[in-house]
Amino acid sequence: MDLAVRSVSKRYKNNTIIEEICFDVGPRELVSIVGPSGVGKTTLLKIIAGLDTPDTGRVIYSEPLSKKHPVIIVFQDYVLFPSMTVKDNVGFGLKARHMKKRQITQQVDRMLAYFQLTRQADQYPAQLSAGQKQRVAIARAMIVNPAVLLLDEPFANLDRNLKMETARFIRSTQQEFGIPTISVTHDLEEAFAMSDRIGVLLDRRLQQFDTPRQVYFNSVSQKVAQFLGPVNLIPEQYLSFFRGSRDPAAPASGNPVMARPENLVMTEDANGPGRITEKTFAGHYTVYSVAMKNNTYTVYSQDDRFTVGKQVTLQITPY
Amino acid sequence: MSWTNNRSGRLVSGLAPLLLPYLVLFCGGVMLTICQSFGVFTPLPHAGAAFDAYAKILTDPAFFTSFWFSLGVAMVSAFCAVAAGAFLAYRVWQLPAKLANAALIYKIPLILPHISVAFVVLVFWSPSGILASMAHSLGFIQTMQDFPNILYSGWGLGMVLAYTLKGTPFAMLLVLALLVRFDVRQIQTAAMLGASGVRIFFSIVLPRMAPAMHTSFIILFLYGFGAFDIPFVLGESRPGMLSIHVYNLYFKHDLARRPEAMAILTMMFFFAVIFIIAYSKIVQRLDNGVRKL
Repeated sequence: MDLAVRSVSKRYKNNTIIEEICFDVGPRELVSIVGPSGVGKTTLLKIIAGLDTPDTGRVIYSEPLSKKHPVIIVFQDYVLFPSMTVKDNVGFGLKARHMKKRQITQQVDRMLAYFQLTRQADQYPAQLSAGQKQRVAIARAMIVNPAVLLLDEPFANLDRNLKMETARFIRSTQQEFGIPTISVTHDLEEAFAMSDRIGVLLDRRLQQFDTPRQVYFNSVSQKVAQFLGPVNLIPEQYLSFFRGSRDPAAPASGNPVMARPENLVMTEDANGPGRITEKTFAGHYTVYSVAMKNNTYTVYSQDDRFTVGKQVTLQITPY
Repeated sequence: MSWTNNRSGRLVSGLAPLLLPYLVLFCGGVMLTICQSFGVFTPLPHAGAAFDAYAKILTDPAFFTSFWFSLGVAMVSAFCAVAAGAFLAYRVWQLPAKLANAALIYKIPLILPHISVAFVVLVFWSPSGILASMAHSLGFIQTMQDFPNILYSGWGLGMVLAYTLKGTPFAMLLVLALLVRFDVRQIQTAAMLGASGVRIFFSIVLPRMAPAMHTSFIILFLYGFGAFDIPFVLGESRPGMLSIHVYNLYFKHDLARRPEAMAILTMMFFFAVIFIIAYSKIVQRLDNGVRKL
């Protein structure tokens, strides 16, 4: 199963929420749509799920959807059925399909084991942690073998240290079950980690849709680049101060060159044009601020030896 | 310690305007009823033993007939009212906002006194009533007397109709108050998972409405079991409702039989208490999961 979103727009009263959204999702592909809060990500998800209708455009599925092969959305707060135990929640879709009790028990047990929920089988949603609730919600969706799985802000209710683990878990689960999945989130790191492709939704429109690496290091605009993380804007006339820089992205229009802090390599040089003005320890890397020709550039470096006040040379390296 | 005493004192004095009428009227009334059922504080000096009134009642088959009849009428009418109220509340909750506002019309029977509802039922369902007249006009029956005797069939259907009519909007009100906070995405999720409308109602919506349904059932059942006004208009003499039995004993017989009336009221009171405790325990056991919300 694959799906194509074609020119989808939605307005509420006089307010345009999303405009001309187009992208494809291939079979077995995991796609993330990222964007700030309130940009219309959930509206887009609801349109894909059929819970809302677009004003223009449409969502095309390669195979017709059916009750047995539906699109399922896992909401931000999971929406588990509070009066049912974990195993009843997970087995709900099979019961709705009038499957035999023994088959339901077998499938539910298998699913609970895969999602490491066997011990919680007889507990109620109110007794679970946020991470466990999310696994129940995904298990409940996966057990009916959906045509497409939609995840609405899957990391929103999780602790910081659980987010990346969950992203990896979603990725491995999606690969295991082979179900095309669309996730909308504003957690960028996790979206990068788990997605085959990422769409950036800004100002009502899908600004860029590409692989995570491409979207991050070759953003189509300053706005996209800045949304995805810190970026240095290097004026074209100062490009020559960056030693040995081959400039693959030199703009013809005179726009500044965009370089991520990870793209800048710093070398100690007594005659270098840059001077370190600030140094911040950030765990697995160090953040340096380097002043050069009236501008300040941010550099991420694994090297902690540089000290504030040192003269340095910067070089742009493609990542 | 003194701080606690002061605080309790202030609390009691603050609640006094509420507690005092409760203690005097309700507790005092119950105590007086119990006393009179034992022949104490009766208008006439009681000559027999303390449990005479209870012995008479519990050996009277008419009492048990009335008890089971009252129980049946109260049970069926409360069940019908709660079932209809829950279903209608769900349908009103599903309506678009504009129509939902118009559906407030359901509250009208709430403001009508029970006696008015009894007369509404009488006017519509009696053999000389509106429905009989319509059936006759439309040619469904030869004469108006051919209209089935629903009100006085011996099954208490008239009272069931009146209690249901009066109780349905009450149950709706309580259920709607719960549904207002119900997350519609639960229904969407169930539908996405392939559940039919019926399964969604029984598996997802009903457990959500259950606490309000239980509360309204207890209130409507106990009211139907003990109320006087509707049975006075729509009741039959045999079998009669317990409330009418008590009324007759209290007002229509000699004063010496008042302890019997009070004994019935005392037993009805304790029955209500036992019913509430038993019902709540059963519901708690059945709804173990829901209680964990």
